[in-house]
Amino acid sequence: MPILEARSLTKTFRRPDKASGFKGAVKHLMQRKFKNYTAVDGIDLSIDAGESVAYVGPNGAGKSTTVKLLTGILRPSEGTVRVMGRDPHTERIANAHDIGVLFGQRTQLWWDLPVEESLKLLKHMYGVSDADYQRRIAKFDELLDLNEFMPALARTLSLGQRMRADLACALIHDPKMVYLDEPTIGLDISVKDRLRAFLRELVNDGTTLLLTSHDLADIEEVCERIVVIDKGAIAYDGSIERLKAHYITTKAVNLYLEGTADVPALAEKFPDYEWTAGEAPSEVTVTYESGRFTTAEVLGSLTAQLSPRDLSLSEPSIEDVIRRLYAGELTK
Amino acid sequence: MPIRHASGVYWRALAAHVRSVIEYPADLWIMATAGAVWNVLQFAFLAVLFANVPHIEGWGFHEMLMLSGLLSIAGGANALCFDGAWNTGSMVIKGDIDYRITRPAPVILQVGSSHIGLQSFGELALGFAMLVYGWIGAGVGMAWIPVGALAIVCAALIQTALVTAFCAVNFWIKSPMSIFAFLLIQLQGGAMKLPLGVFPAAVRVVALFIVPVAFINVVPVAVFTGHMTAWWLVGVPLAAVAAVALAAGVYRLGLRAYDSAGH
Repeated sequence: MPILEARSLTKTFRRPDKASGFKGAVKHLMQRKFKNYTAVDGIDLSIDAGESVAYVGPNGAGKSTTVKLLTGILRPSEGTVRVMGRDPHTERIANAHDIGVLFGQRTQLWWDLPVEESLKLLKHMYGVSDADYQRRIAKFDELLDLNEFMPALARTLSLGQRMRADLACALIHDPKMVYLDEPTIGLDISVKDRLRAFLRELVNDGTTLLLTSHDLADIEEVCERIVVIDKGAIAYDGSIERLKAHYITTKAVNLYLEGTADVPALAEKFPDYEWTAGEAPSEVTVTYESGRFTTAEVLGSLTAQLSPRDLSLSEPSIEDVIRRLYAGELTK
Repeated sequence: MPIRHASGVYWRALAAHVRSVIEYPADLWIMATAGAVWNVLQFAFLAVLFANVPHIEGWGFHEMLMLSGLLSIAGGANALCFDGAWNTGSMVIKGDIDYRITRPAPVILQVGSSHIGLQSFGELALGFAMLVYGWIGAGVGMAWIPVGALAIVCAALIQTALVTAFCAVNFWIKSPMSIFAFLLIQLQGGAMKLPLGVFPAAVRVVALFIVPVAFINVVPVAVFTGHMTAWWLVGVPLAAVAAVALAAGVYRLGLRAYDSAGH
């Protein structure tokens, strides 16, 4: 049973159609012209309860706009959204009790108030009981070290502290569906690790999660399913494992030879493989199709004929696949 | 949305801001003094004016003082209780309305209670001082006090609602400056400290029935001092209800038109 269902979801914005510079601005003042820009183009998305879904795409692909449509912030131009059977825009208040939202680029903390006051205001807003509030704050403190900055004004927090506080704000009412838009943006590696561990625990507890991020480590560590969006449309929707199995069709071996690697000669000698010069003169990378050759076969032929000083295997990376999906090299 | 829950959210946010403000007494005193000084200047201006002119359109010094006092109270109440509405424009541009839409409380109350204007403490103190001084000096009498209290509540509501409605225009015009609300305040500061009789009929119609700013201070004071019949007082709560409905309606439409930031 899907907890979230979007059908033919489309969002079009109207933008001024004008030339740049002062002349363009004056002309636009006299002759108003606009053009439509489709940020989200007929998306179908269904998320089951308890799923953790990564929603990724290049800048301007429509990720944030989709999240705003799913959370009821924006009204769809066309199509429908249902979250637990409700329209998040028209049934905003009822929907708000069941969802938690974090936009990494903005804070929901009251800027002039201590973090604790913001959390208490949200507690009252969501009607959280004292016992539940204390229990959740204790848990957040255990995982996010919240008490360290609870008395501090929001405007005095570091980015990492602010993000941890915002995460607590998004989850204080124990929402069933959580949307996190770039939750690790700008954070240092230790805070990122902490947040990811927290999110894994959240998913293990059965919370449904939709996560957008440019940091693919967030995705691999937290999510099971990945939806890739490009130019407002879904380019891939499936498990991360399937993505790897389906799209990672080549593997690579890095060889460190005794002398300088003659790449053209090697390419002529082993025409079935792709040869690329490495950073050092003696280093060369051999790329082969994993469907045609096993790693053992490749290593056997290379070591027998070239006697390399050393070698290493390159693990397939989800990052490469997504980069190629963004670049349009791969299709659904 | 139960009204009790919504008002609870609003008052708690406001109380939290007051607690926060008290922690920075220097800011509070400086801003409150600025608000008070502005009103002292109003008082001084009227005192000098009436030292040379016996009356304006039949209104004397104490009656005019009541006009300024009630307007200051309305402005101070707006700044104390709903100053966040002035940030509507910048919130729309920056996409700061987003989070407020995802919370189970009216957006208009969340925005209104997101800030308090510290100058309000000075405005309210001096506003009440001018009103009481004018009230006694004009010989209005104790019998009008309950109606006066109602007029003060309505004045605060009308002022707040009109400012909020004008600030909500920024959902469409996309500017951080609430220029229409600012114009409203400027026009009130200039025109609504004078009796309605000095203006042409068209201006009187606008101030009474189109943008009912006259019901904030001019109508109640005119009734209390015998310049208008008591029937006009019926219009004060009606104007308050109409203004609040207008603000809520414009804000609701604005939220429908809201397209956030960063597509």
